[in-house]
Amino acid sequence: MSATTVFDSETLPRLEEQKAQTPWGRRTSRFRIAVILAVIIPAIIVAALFLLSTIPGAVIMVAIYFPLQVIAAVLAAIAVRGTKSAGDAVIIVSAIGATIFSGVVLVSLLWSIIVKGLQAMSVAFIFQNNEYISPSTPLGYGGIGHAILGTVLIVAISTLIAVPLGVMTALYITEVRGRAVPYVRFFVQAMSGVPSVVAGLFILTVLILTGVLNNSAFAAGLAYAILMLPTVARTAEEVLKLVPEDLRTGALALGSTRARVALRVVVPAAKTGIITAAILGIARVVGETAPLLLTALKNDKTVLNPFTEPISALPTYIFTNVAQPYPDAVLRAWGAALALMVIVAILFTVTRILSGKRPGK
Amino acid sequence: MSTAEFDDTEVAVQELESEFATETTHARTEMETRDISVWFGKRKVLEGVNIEFKKNTVTALIGPSGCGKSTFIRTLNRLHELIPSAALAGEVLYEGKDIYAPEVDPVHIRLKIGMVFQKPNPFPSMTIRGNVLSGLKLSGMKRSNHDDIVEQTLTHAGLWTEVKDRLNHAAGDLSGGQQQRLVIARALAVQPHVLLMDEPCSALDPGSTLKIEETIRELSKDITIIIVTHNMQQAVRVADNTAFFLATDGNPGHVVEQGPTTEIFGNPQDQRTLDYVNGRFG
Repeated sequence: MSATTVFDSETLPRLEEQKAQTPWGRRTSRFRIAVILAVIIPAIIVAALFLLSTIPGAVIMVAIYFPLQVIAAVLAAIAVRGTKSAGDAVIIVSAIGATIFSGVVLVSLLWSIIVKGLQAMSVAFIFQNNEYISPSTPLGYGGIGHAILGTVLIVAISTLIAVPLGVMTALYITEVRGRAVPYVRFFVQAMSGVPSVVAGLFILTVLILTGVLNNSAFAAGLAYAILMLPTVARTAEEVLKLVPEDLRTGALALGSTRARVALRVVVPAAKTGIITAAILGIARVVGETAPLLLTALKNDKTVLNPFTEPISALPTYIFTNVAQPYPDAVLRAWGAALALMVIVAILFTVTRILSGKRPGK
Repeated sequence: MSTAEFDDTEVAVQELESEFATETTHARTEMETRDISVWFGKRKVLEGVNIEFKKNTVTALIGPSGCGKSTFIRTLNRLHELIPSAALAGEVLYEGKDIYAPEVDPVHIRLKIGMVFQKPNPFPSMTIRGNVLSGLKLSGMKRSNHDDIVEQTLTHAGLWTEVKDRLNHAAGDLSGGQQQRLVIARALAVQPHVLLMDEPCSALDPGSTLKIEETIRELSKDITIIIVTHNMQQAVRVADNTAFFLATDGNPGHVVEQGPTTEIFGNPQDQRTLDYVNGRFG
């Protein structure tokens, strides 16, 4: 048996000449040429079609460029790596294409909301209400202050109702684990299929027409809560399920009651997820218009009392203005849409920052 | 001297003697199982386990995988019943009373009989300090001087010097070995009389293992420890007594041999024990 070999970096030659590299990223020139051809040829064909034909641009992109690019990628893949890699090329190019397509749709949607919404934007537009304003009043007078307030009020009411209920439902499913779990879960799932107009109709017939409630922010908040509850409950259930069982047994082994395990260990461990559940619930309802038309109606004045009188919210404001024959009224609707989007974005950002906090420093 | 006086003296002497006796036979029984059998659904996984755990001793439960050691240890503080299909026969006596008696509150049992698990499970939403004190909050136990408790238990668990300057950091920032010592400190903060440890070192490096073994020896001055381990050297190093579990060919697990650790490893009576402790199977 020979002795072991000992390496000493001092004695190894040329170590200081080594540079960090990524050898797996090196390409053959055949590969480079194939990629360049696969990118340039479809691009040239499409550019020529744009310039020389009268086919609409969207049709060129979707019906001609996309299939052409897939074929080019497949041919390039076959040329470089053989037939086996053809499938890879199709999947990768399709995935990139689908991503770009949805990205374009999203960006153009945002773009039109921002461009048209900004035309209506002004300090007055954000803070004033719509009292004494007719659809033909030019921009610069009146605003959506009352509708922003309405949306905030209604969503706050529904959040206060639906989030605790939804989280408790989820806790019943994951922590209490009672016998009714399958039925509760089925019921929650069925509830998530309730059309929003039905939720509004329900509150209208059961609580408003019977005289229990007025057409008001509170009634609208109840209708929203019906829509929010299943989303919150199901999302919260999913995140509570992700809490490791070890934490529960660990807490029980410390002599904890089940309630304390749920409230002091499981819920805090799933805090971020539960906040996400609340956000998803809010996102689910914030743009809903139908329930508001049946419960909150509309009101051009600023309303602070959630129980006494009808109230406008951003969706109802958009709904009424977009149908007007006056360009300025339509612009107001776009402005309201932009405001709604900004509110949701602010809400998401704030909750993300809050939920991102870790214990301690 | 009257007869009555004489009688009194004798009674006093007897009392003194019996007191003396309880003190010197420090081997008072803290826990005991009687014919414990365990099922999951229809499958019997453990059969007729009788083990006595003396006060302030360390007992190691050894045996190959799947022999029911972990299942057994979870019957000792009523965590076993949390598994939906679980069933059990026999008695687990703690201070002479069956912990499965109908009037017994499992929460109370788990407070007296703490547990440390295979995988460290600190509460991620709490700080290091918060984790140590979590048992007090979770069990509603009142103890004053929280700072002292934190220092004492962390010192006991061999972690104090490493974390004393960052008690308010998230527990998740600690390494695996530190987390395991943290959960030991957490278990100690509620002052259990018995500490169950289910392979506490199986996921740890040798250095952390050594520290935890030192901790176990130190703790056994005050509390009774029952430890499941796959590491036979560890059993030799820490345990006063050892019980060897075995399950063969689909039969339920049972105790093959138990006794002082030196006997189990040095002079086992059963051939299977001899083979196992010498590493011939398992």
